Amino acid sequence: MKNKVLTICPYCGSGCHMNLLVEDGKVVGAEPADGRTNEGNLCLKGHYGWDFLNDPQILTARLRKPMIRKEGVLREVSWEEAIQFTAEKLTAIKEQYGPDAIMGTGSARGPGNEANYVMQKFMRAVIGTNNIDHCARVCHGPSVAGLTYSLGDGAMSNSIPEIEDTDLLFIFGYNAPVTHPIVARRIVKAKEKGATIIVSDPRKTELARIADTWLPLKGGTNMALVNAFGNVLIEEELYDKDYVANYVEGFAEYKESVKKYTPEYAETITGVKANDIRKVMRQYAKSNKAMILYGMGVCQFAQAVDVVKGLASLALLTGNFGRPSVGIGPVRGQNNVQGSCDMGALPNVYPGYQSVTDPKIRKKFEKAWGVMLPDKTGYHLTEIPHLVLKENKVKAYYIFGEDPVQSDPNAAEVRETLEKMEFVIVQDIFMNKTALHADVILPATSWGEHEGVYSSADRGFQRIRKAVDPPGDVKPDWQIISELSTAMGYPMSYKNTEEIWDEMRALCPKFAGASYKRMEEQGGVQWPCPSEDHPGTPYLYEGNRFSTPNGKGRLFACEWRAPLEQPDQEYPLTLSTVREVGHYSVRTMTGNCRALSQLSDEPGNIQVSPVDASSLGITDGQLVRIISRRGRIVARAQISDRVKAGATYMTYHFWIGACNELTGDALDPISKTPEYKYCAIRLERIPDQLRAEEKVRQQYESLRKQMHVGAGQA
Amino acid sequence: MRKERPNSFVIAEAGKCIGCKACELACFAVHNRDNGVAAAVGTVTMPVIPRLYVIRTDSFTMPVQCRHCENAPCAGVCPVQAIVQEEGAITIDEDRCIGCKACAMACPFGAISLYKAYSSGQEHKQPHLREQLNGRLERKTRVIAYKCDLCHDIASDGNTASGEIAGAGAVNNSGSLTEGGGGPVPACASVCPEQALTLVSPSFGASRSRKAAGLRL
Repeated sequence: MKNKVLTICPYCGSGCHMNLLVEDGKVVGAEPADGRTNEGNLCLKGHYGWDFLNDPQILTARLRKPMIRKEGVLREVSWEEAIQFTAEKLTAIKEQYGPDAIMGTGSARGPGNEANYVMQKFMRAVIGTNNIDHCARVCHGPSVAGLTYSLGDGAMSNSIPEIEDTDLLFIFGYNAPVTHPIVARRIVKAKEKGATIIVSDPRKTELARIADTWLPLKGGTNMALVNAFGNVLIEEELYDKDYVANYVEGFAEYKESVKKYTPEYAETITGVKANDIRKVMRQYAKSNKAMILYGMGVCQFAQAVDVVKGLASLALLTGNFGRPSVGIGPVRGQNNVQGSCDMGALPNVYPGYQSVTDPKIRKKFEKAWGVMLPDKTGYHLTEIPHLVLKENKVKAYYIFGEDPVQSDPNAAEVRETLEKMEFVIVQDIFMNKTALHADVILPATSWGEHEGVYSSADRGFQRIRKAVDPPGDVKPDWQIISELSTAMGYPMSYKNTEEIWDEMRALCPKFAGASYKRMEEQGGVQWPCPSEDHPGTPYLYEGNRFSTPNGKGRLFACEWRAPLEQPDQEYPLTLSTVREVGHYSVRTMTGNCRALSQLSDEPGNIQVSPVDASSLGITDGQLVRIISRRGRIVARAQISDRVKAGATYMTYHFWIGACNELTGDALDPISKTPEYKYCAIRLERIPDQLRAEEKVRQQYESLRKQMHVGAGQA
Repeated sequence: MRKERPNSFVIAEAGKCIGCKACELACFAVHNRDNGVAAAVGTVTMPVIPRLYVIRTDSFTMPVQCRHCENAPCAGVCPVQAIVQEEGAITIDEDRCIGCKACAMACPFGAISLYKAYSSGQEHKQPHLREQLNGRLERKTRVIAYKCDLCHDIASDGNTASGEIAGAGAVNNSGSLTEGGGGPVPACASVCPEQALTLVSPSFGASRSRKAAGLRL
């Protein structure tokens, strides 16, 4: 007898509703359900991405029991011992070095909002630090910072279904077909309904292919192009004068800043034809309803926040806010990265984007939690290597549902950082590269094994549900953190996730009305939702009232800066990290799904232009060596005429072809987001392919062994 | 009913396809239930063998699959008559196939590929032919021709899970060019998140083209 359990897909931020089909306590299939964003559709990850729950050990093994490193080896222990040991170690480090020597992360993936709320509460109330951050730092951190500056809220101003009813979609550095196939569907539908599609991307992506106009800019020149757009809007008087006069501030400075960025000048930097720049801005300004969508092609640069503000400025100049099907959409990549931000897993804000430096707000949280709270912003996740290796400031790292060795730039430096720390806690569902450096491993339940709430990319709170019992001796994340907290002398005793959710709602005016009951009735609630009789908010800024202190949108432009590491004779090519549709993030989930793992497997690919491939004597499918100033790896060449000469692209999903061994750690000065989209590399041909294939195979086997594959399967 | 009109076939609109390969996986999944795919216990070790192929060039992306030609050249060249037309589809009898590749050569669309045969998740070995493997002679795995069969033998149970066959006009097939609703839709078409794949009935397709041509006059 098959049972159906309605839940939300664990991949990407589209927030698709789906049914898990359960038979004899096992998930045996998935089918689409009629959710607000997906309307009965799922992508291949939704359909075939549930297999990891059954622990098939294709890539790595589930963590089934707590472990403590003893004499250099991770050994299974009881929960009591693991919690006691962890609590004592953390307490000792806090006493010896102070609370700011401890760093914690939220998890933008399976655990859900409640676990993130409990985690940030643990770091703030129990440890006594604001050192809490999560992987939004390495993805949409610039959106949160930039859009909060320009508009007041760091989230999509529109909702996903509105995409298909706009007149013009301006898509910047965003490849929806691989990151969000279900959002791509809205883009395809918009096109069918007659919308103009403009795509700005160095690669000819699937979206660029179906676009009306493709602007193939040179990598790392975003700001110059965005400034030129502003220049055209002002020089040709295409902007909405009334709107700017009434709802926007900073026009004079903006006008001055973009003056020099004429389309002709921008062409010399970006390679985009001056006429095309003019053409698309005339179309954009002329449209009744125009929407900007952007992704990592904007955010993963050392000048990301500036570009986010620049894009928001274009929408402000043309009055594209406060109505359906207009606005600006940073589409969130991980399923609950919006939620982790919502829950305050950030060093500068409590849940609900309430500033930790505002005394009134701090007082509210102090009263609710019954402790004194720290008043200064915490460390950013990407600063940790520097703070550990250069300044010797951070001693303990509580890594919750993240795999920084695989996902963060300059992997060698991340490993060195973890080795140097006195105490590393890894709380996860799978063994991974980061867990190899852990002192304690706390095994948690997975998506499908616990209750909770996710936030979709367009601010929609939606319920996830338990479908099966977890294997082994594992606990829900919020419960592990609560037990640790209690052991450290701050009792936390929640009965269930709803109790946590209600505590959170009571402290966050923006989320106050989004009760479990409302989510149940409506399928989901989009924030802001200030009271239980409020229907939720599909689009922000109704009445053109922004969430900035004075209610006005702020224009911003600044000088373009070139990416920090430029190609030279030794490292003549550039590398940008990208994604592929069949895999997700660090691949512990999709790599453990039978169908998905076979679509592409180790060592991963590097996309190279035919020009570069032929000058290096490389043929399609060959293994090649890739070297940067920080490391060297082997991957398979994928020769593609969609790639420009001089540029290469790799996904960060693979273990052997781990592009983060190569990427640099240059950061955006405001959001501290790394410049994943640009570093210098060189490619080398490997003459003995047979031997290289054999070595890749051996390396994979040895990695899988380290990941406990084959051990302890029930 | 079907026999009285030309064979239906599935075609993709390149303007909608995003190259995500959900169709390839759905095809693989529904055709390999006997090999344990989509069952939860154990790990299937067989490779993903789809019967349609997403191709990607500089200017377009779309899956290509069998057109179910009325005078199928593959059937014409098959030396063992393993390819037949039945109930409005051209199908390969995989038990009968000798893996000679003549059909793959004859197909103008590249819709036929040769892969190893599997049964119960294991490679299907031949009784007589042996090959040199790991320094000794071992029974050779059968290699056969695979192509789209319009999910012909796969019964519809009204369940869209994991690419099972959905009824036409199901929630994810609104607006598709299917045969008047009610009939089963191949897995690829029912799973496509962009609704790029359509089961086309040629008579319906032609009348649509005629109408469009008329409107252009």
